Amino acid sequence: MKFRNAFLALALLAVPASAHHSYAMFDMQKTIALQGTIVKFKWQNPHAWVEVDAVANGRTERWAIEMTSPNNLIQQGFKRTSMKTGDKVTMQIHPLRSGSKGGSFGAVKLADGTVLGDWAG
Amino acid sequence: MLRYASLAAIALAVAVPASAQLGAATKSPPPEGLSEGEGAGYAKGKYAELDALPDWGGIWFVQFGGSGGGPPAVPKLKGEYAERYQAWRAEVTANDGVVRRARSNCSAPGMPRIMRLAQYPYEFLFTPGRVTINQEAWMQTRTIWTDGREHPPLEELDPTFMGHSIGHWEGEVLVVDTIGISDALEIDTGMPHSAGFRLTERIHLDSADPDVLVNEMLMVDPEALEETFSVTVRYRRDRNGALIEFQCSENDRNPVDEDGNTLYQ
Repeated sequence: MKFRNAFLALALLAVPASAHHSYAMFDMQKTIALQGTIVKFKWQNPHAWVEVDAVANGRTERWAIEMTSPNNLIQQGFKRTSMKTGDKVTMQIHPLRSGSKGGSFGAVKLADGTVLGDWAG
Repeated sequence: MLRYASLAAIALAVAVPASAQLGAATKSPPPEGLSEGEGAGYAKGKYAELDALPDWGGIWFVQFGGSGGGPPAVPKLKGEYAERYQAWRAEVTANDGVVRRARSNCSAPGMPRIMRLAQYPYEFLFTPGRVTINQEAWMQTRTIWTDGREHPPLEELDPTFMGHSIGHWEGEVLVVDTIGISDALEIDTGMPHSAGFRLTERIHLDSADPDVLVNEMLMVDPEALEETFSVTVRYRRDRNGALIEFQCSENDRNPVDEDGNTLYQ
């Protein structure tokens, strides 16, 4: 039963493939965490977008994260002011399969502990 | 003298488009099956009748898992259309699951796929003689003529992304018939259809939940489909929501390269 639910969850995750472009570029089975600072949060169709300066192994790397549409984000509780430049966050993403520093947004934990999106684990 | 003549020539050149517009306005003939004085162009005096229509206010998001679970319905293609789909599948498999694009990601999917999008909501507007569906996706507008007009003959229709839709109300149900959808578009990802593709929709509120709108779609295509393809889409309401502007070229981070691969920038 648990496996079946997991499969269903994957099937649901796969659904956005019918949207603006295919999600095949992302490894949707894999979730990684970025800890860092918001560089820019762009609230615009066809996808909202957020850039994060993430600290890993003492080095800062800039990641570009694609999100769903602003109107879908509103349904998840987001506002265009939910993330501001300089905010400290932890973000879960599904990374690009190419290995470039980008991915598809999963969830974010803001500095005040607020969680937006589907936090895994 | 020469200088004056040049100035006059420039003035004339500038004036030409305006003078063309100032001539008699284009007078289109009445829509197919209607007489002059009938149809959506003559809405004045008919707005009060709209209040009898069902309550579809707000914006609507496609609801997933709303079709009773189970695997999604798949169109049964035949002949060369089935072969084209198999060739497409083989290519996607060979390309590590990546679908190559022949068009920009800023190009809308058109009908019928645009009625089934995950990320972008819809609104339905009633005016006398027509229902207008505004789609946040690519800021597309779909018109359903409910003024009694008929389809023009298929050969006279421009094949378009939206096709030509006529509809009528059966009680609380909007029944829509659409032809003239471009055969460059798809029934579902990778699944082509012919110029003879036809879509019927029955759109109504769910009797069990007035915040759910149901669209029962039936698709036929004598050349491409083995049997009628039936899919039901359910939309959930956000009563006070509003569509958000969609200017794809202003935020195009996914251009398509010369090999058809979607980039990430």
